[in-house]
Amino acid sequence: MQKASLLRTTISAPEFGPFVLLVLELAVFYVINPEFLSVLNIGNTLTFTVELGLIALAMTLLMTAGEFDLSVGSLFGFAPVVMWTLFNAGWTSLAVAFVISLVIAALIGLVNGLFVTRLKIPSFLVTLGMLLVARGTALFVTDGFPQRTWSAGGQWIANLLVGDFYIGPLRVYASLFWFVAAAVILGYVLTQSKYGNWIQATGGNPVAAQARGVHVSTVKVALFILTAVMSSFAGIISSIRTSAANPNSGSGYELEVIAMVVIGGTALTGGRGTILGTVLGILILRVMRNGIVLIGVPGLAYNIFIGAIILGMMALHSWLERRHQAGT
Amino acid sequence: MAEDLIRMEHINKFFGRVQALDDVNFRVRRQEIVGLLGDNGAGKSTLIKVLSGALHATSGDIYVRGKRVEMRSTTDAIAEGIETIYQDSALVTQLSIARNLFLGREPIRGPHFLNRMDSARMDGVAGDLLRRVGIGKAIPASTPISSLSGGERQAVAIARAMYFDSDLIILDEPTNNLGVAETQGVLRFVRNARDSGHSCIFIAHNIHHVFQVVDRIVVMRRGKIVADDIDPKATSVAEVERVITGDFSGPPH
Repeated sequence: MQKASLLRTTISAPEFGPFVLLVLELAVFYVINPEFLSVLNIGNTLTFTVELGLIALAMTLLMTAGEFDLSVGSLFGFAPVVMWTLFNAGWTSLAVAFVISLVIAALIGLVNGLFVTRLKIPSFLVTLGMLLVARGTALFVTDGFPQRTWSAGGQWIANLLVGDFYIGPLRVYASLFWFVAAAVILGYVLTQSKYGNWIQATGGNPVAAQARGVHVSTVKVALFILTAVMSSFAGIISSIRTSAANPNSGSGYELEVIAMVVIGGTALTGGRGTILGTVLGILILRVMRNGIVLIGVPGLAYNIFIGAIILGMMALHSWLERRHQAGT
Repeated sequence: MAEDLIRMEHINKFFGRVQALDDVNFRVRRQEIVGLLGDNGAGKSTLIKVLSGALHATSGDIYVRGKRVEMRSTTDAIAEGIETIYQDSALVTQLSIARNLFLGREPIRGPHFLNRMDSARMDGVAGDLLRRVGIGKAIPASTPISSLSGGERQAVAIARAMYFDSDLIILDEPTNNLGVAETQGVLRFVRNARDSGHSCIFIAHNIHHVFQVVDRIVVMRRGKIVADDIDPKATSVAEVERVITGDFSGPPH
């Protein structure tokens, strides 16, 4: 193997394609409508982006370990319903209700993980079942009606989670910092820590990993728990910001999140994952959604672009992968 | 004669009513390369799986360094210093050579709770090891396994077994699908491993490869050991082939 130049290494990195696409997107939208890069629009785009992004970050680790979770969207709707129901009924303070709903989310993640690792049922089926259980519970508990959330104002926990403030003219929610912190921590875990090595080995070759003493099942269960908790956390943040705990919210997010992760270069089959790529994938999809509306394309056409991006990026990643393997 | 590293006594293994191993007694001495031969279905793989913890014997005892041990899993076997190298299956192709070498035993740098891998040390040790087994001039330790050839992958697996002081390295068909030069490479790694104090069990269909490297040949047929102490220097390939097939009427085929 010859020494690859810095340029070559950069170009063959899985994050390079998504990076170019994002820059291209930004340039095109800006040229067509300069409003696109206005402070107001950047603030608006970031707000929901980071909420969905929290789920995608956790999903990146889970998918690197060779599993995925379809129940994230329903937990996004379920967790706030639990929290607000407990709070509105006057049983606990909002902070305690927040903790309880995250604990319930962790238990749901644990159940997902145990079904996958102990009963050897594919995660597609397990988490599809959990999707229906969580969504159904949220609908049943609320009779299908949104929960009262107006009392969030003045709660310290609400301010901590999604308090807003201005950096110059840019309105920023605290959730942006949660997202950045999660990206930095999970990026560190995946690339620098020994757990990252275990996660990649678990997805890449579970038999070999197990033989080296890596507890493959524990790794998977932990990541299912992480994903469930992050989804619920994101749902709660969103519900406080929008003052709405709708039992139906989060429908379809699971697919958008998985799309974000694979566009960024994480392998659907496991073994290879990148947090940086996922951050790019998150931005690509959300900027696309925001941008096409801003330049006057009907919002209903959104899915055409998203589908095209997924197909294009998958083709690129598969081409890079084959070129990479060509040396064997 | 060197002392026994491994003794397997009266090993029986049933799959339902089918007896795969029939009262097998098998031993490996220290610093010895044993060639394990036999036709398909003779019980070689079953015996090796019992020894490496992948299967549990129906009855019988396993002694390592004279001490009786229970092998419940491959992890148990590795803890006893028994490392099995299957073609391709023992490495994570997406990870680098260095990360594979230290998988599950990553050295940590800095505050312990951060669990930060000591990449510099991992790359350094991996580079040294690769040179010791005889590759490494041109391959940096950060290369992913997916861009290595079959022989180089075997070398990485052998290097790992040597570094973590496995007393016994089991090679299951290590020369399958390898070219001539790569096969010679693998045989050289095996000799290097013995010369630095490790024992090996070498399983291969190609008897010629076995003859080139082993100190002693053991032959299995229909779940039994039918020859235990064939000296490759004093025996012809044709004779061993007759023991394997059990056909003593003339040369097979």
